Amino acid sequence: MASALQPYNQDPNGAYVFSSRPRPAPTRLKYKDPAVIQNEESYVYGNIMYDRRVVRGNTYAQHTLPLRSQPDPAELKKQQEARRRALARKRAKEQFRLLTPEAPEGRKHKDVQTELYLEELSDHPEDASMGCQTDAFLDEPATPLFIPAKSGKDVATQIEEGELFYFDTEVQPVLEVLIGKTMEQALLEVLEEEELASLRAQQRAFQELRNAEIVEVQRLEEQERRHREEKVRRLKQQREVLENERVIAEKIAARVFAQQYLADLLPSVYNTLRDQGYFYDPVQRDIETGFLPWLMTEVDSALKKREIVLTMLDTLIYDVANSRQET
Amino acid sequence: MDATTKPLRIPPDMATYAEKHDIFELFQTLVRSLVVDKPADPIQYLIDMLKRENTDVPRVMLLGPPASGKRTIAKKLCEQIGTIHITASNILKDDSDLSRAALEYTEKNQEIPQDLWIKLIQQRLLKADCVRRGWVLEAIPKTREEALCLQEAGIAPEHVVMLQAPESVLIERSLGKRIDPVTGDVYHVAFMRPESAEVAQRLERPQSLISEDVIYRQLQGFHREAHALQRTYKNCLKIVDADQAHVDVFAQVLTFILSRHRSSAPYTPRILLLGPPGSGRSLQARLIAQKYGLVNICCGELLKAVAADESSMGELIKPFLESGRRVPDSMVLQILTERLSRLDCTTRGWVLHGFPQDLEQAEALQESKFSPNRVVFLEMTDGVAVEGLTLGAIDPVTGERHSFRLQHRLRESEAEVQKKLQQYWRHVEALQAFYPQAVRVRADQDPHTVFECLESTLVDRLPKVLPDRA
Repeated sequence: MASALQPYNQDPNGAYVFSSRPRPAPTRLKYKDPAVIQNEESYVYGNIMYDRRVVRGNTYAQHTLPLRSQPDPAELKKQQEARRRALARKRAKEQFRLLTPEAPEGRKHKDVQTELYLEELSDHPEDASMGCQTDAFLDEPATPLFIPAKSGKDVATQIEEGELFYFDTEVQPVLEVLIGKTMEQALLEVLEEEELASLRAQQRAFQELRNAEIVEVQRLEEQERRHREEKVRRLKQQREVLENERVIAEKIAARVFAQQYLADLLPSVYNTLRDQGYFYDPVQRDIETGFLPWLMTEVDSALKKREIVLTMLDTLIYDVANSRQET
Repeated sequence: MDATTKPLRIPPDMATYAEKHDIFELFQTLVRSLVVDKPADPIQYLIDMLKRENTDVPRVMLLGPPASGKRTIAKKLCEQIGTIHITASNILKDDSDLSRAALEYTEKNQEIPQDLWIKLIQQRLLKADCVRRGWVLEAIPKTREEALCLQEAGIAPEHVVMLQAPESVLIERSLGKRIDPVTGDVYHVAFMRPESAEVAQRLERPQSLISEDVIYRQLQGFHREAHALQRTYKNCLKIVDADQAHVDVFAQVLTFILSRHRSSAPYTPRILLLGPPGSGRSLQARLIAQKYGLVNICCGELLKAVAADESSMGELIKPFLESGRRVPDSMVLQILTERLSRLDCTTRGWVLHGFPQDLEQAEALQESKFSPNRVVFLEMTDGVAVEGLTLGAIDPVTGERHSFRLQHRLRESEAEVQKKLQQYWRHVEALQAFYPQAVRVRADQDPHTVFECLESTLVDRLPKVLPDRA
C-alpha cells in the first residue's frame, strides 16, 4: 500500500495537496489476518458487486445522509413528534400493565376473592385419637366352592310348530319347477338345434346353388376374356403384318429406286476417270512419255550434228577460198 | 407380293430426297475414290469417307503465264471460299523427309526429280486440312509431263482456270511487279498500289524476274506448255482474260468455280415459272413441255377444268369462279396436290405457272411433297406487259404480234391489267426472297431467246452456294 499511496503533503505553493493512484477498495479478509498480508506486497481487492457496503437497489426512497451536518428542521420536528408519541404510548401501556403474566392458551383468568377461605397456618397440625379392636380368633370358615363367575350370556331356544323343515313337502315344488324349467330349456335347445340344422341345410343348398352359378359366371367371363384377348392379338398380328408389308414395300421401292437411280453410276464414274486421265491408254502414254522425248532428243542431236557438219563445211570452204585467194 | 395385283409405286419423296442431297454425285465421288485409292477394307473406307462429309470440297488449279495475277486471284479465292492455297514454295516449306530431300536438290540448283515432286504434292494434298477444306493449286503443274503424273496419281481438279493476256501487258506487269516479303502479296508499281504507306516501304523486287529478256524467255517457256496443258484439262477448263481489272477477273473465276458440271443423274424437272401477267409464261411453259415431255399445268385452267368436272370439289369452287373472287388457298392447294400426285406428273415432271401468287401459297407449296427444283422469274417492265395484254396476243408460231388475232385469252381492259400488275409487284419481292436460288430471265426479248435461257437453267445443275461467312 505504501506504493499505492503517494500523498504529497506540500505542493510548491504551500497548500496541502493529496492525490493517490486510483485503487480498488480493499475488502475485509474473512479468514486471513490483514496485518499479515500487509507485509507482503500482494494487494487484496474484492469484487464490488458482492460488497455489502455498496448501496443496491433504487435510491429514491433510501435514507441518504443529509446534505449538511445540521439536521433538516422539518426532519427534526418529525423526529421529535415521533419521539413524543412513542413516550406517550409507553406511558399508557404501563398503566394497563398486569402483574400476573397473561393466561396461556386455552385458559382464562378469573378474579377470585380468597378472603373467605383464608386459613390460619400453624405448626401444629390437628390430631385426634381413635382405637380399634379385632375379634378373637375364629376358625376359618370353609371356603365356599369356587364357582367362577358367569362369563357368558344365558340363552334358551325352543322349536315352535312349523319350524321344522320337511324335505319332501318343501322341496317338491321347487324340484318340479326346476325340472320343468330344465326340461323346457332342454326342449328349447333341441328346437334351436333343429332350427339351426335346418337353416344350415338351407344355407348349404343356397351356397351350392350360388357356387354353381358363380362357376358358370366365371366360365363365361373367362370365355369372354379369352375372346377379347384373341381379338386383340389377332388385330395386333394383322397390324404387324400390314406394317411389315408396308416396310417391305418401302424397302422394295427404295431398292428399285436406288437401282434405277444409280443404274448409270459405274459407266459415268469410268467416263469421269477416263476424262480425268486416270484411265489412260498405256500405249499412247508410253509413246508420249517414252518415245516422243527420245525422238525429240535424237532429232535434236541429229540436227546439232548437221549444224556442226555444216559449220565445219562452211569453215572448210572459207579456209579453202581464203587460201585460194592468197595464192 | 405380286407385281400385278399390287403395282409398285415408288414414292416421289425418294426422288426429291435424292435430288436434294445430290446422291448421285455422292456415289460417284465414293466409287471414284474407291477405284483410285484401292483401300484394303472398302466398307470401312466408305464409312470413314461418309463421316467426313467433305465430298463436295472445291478443287481448283490456277494456271497462267507469269505476271498474269495468279497469286492475287488465288489468295482472294482462298479467302472467299476457305480453301488451302498451295504453291511450289509452300510445298517445299513443309517439314518432312520428302521435302528435305527435295530441298537438297534445290540447294544444288538441280531440278527436283519428277516422282519426288509428285509424291510431295500428293503428300500435301492428303493432309487433313486439304481434305477438309479443298485446295487451290497455283501454277502446278507446269508441264504436261507433270500433269500426266498427277493424273496417274489420281489427283484431278474439278475446275481449271487458265489466265490469258497479251504478251506486252504481261511484260509490263512483270517489270513493275513488287512483292511484300511479310505477307507474300503481289503489288504493282502502277496498276496495283498497296493501300498503306508502311506496306509500300517494305516492297521489294522479286528475284526471278529481273530483265526483259529473262521475262520473255519465261513467257516463251510457258506458252510451250500451255497448249498441252489445255489439252490435258479440256473437260474442266475455262480460259479467263486477265487483261481486265482484277475484280472482274476474280468475279468470273468465282462464278466458274461455283458452277457445277453437268451430271448424269436421272432428273425429273419440276419447274415453277413466275412472272407478271403478259410475260409469256404460258407460251414458254407450252414450249418446254412440248420439248421435254413434261406436263404443263396452268393454275387457272386447272381450276376451270375441276369446276366443269361436276365433282364435289368442283361444286365448291364454282361459286368463286363465277363471281370472279379468288378461290381460297386451301382448295387450290388441294386441287393442285391432287393433280401433281398423279402418275404422269411424278414420272415425267411438270411445269407450273400461275401459282403461287403470294408468300403463303409459296410456303404451302414448299411444305407439300411437291416443291419445285427450278424456279424462274420472268422479268418484264410494266409498259411492255400492258401493251402485250391490251393490244393483242403473240402468235406462238410466227413470233409476231398480231393486233386483232386473239388466243384463248379474252382481251382485257387496261384497268384490269394494271390491277393485276400491281398485285404481282406487291408480292414479287417476298417471293424472290423465298426462292433464293431462282433464276431471273429477261422476258422482253424474242420468245425463242427466252426459251433458250430457260433451257440452259433446266439442263445445267444449280451452282454451289457459298456458306455464309460472318
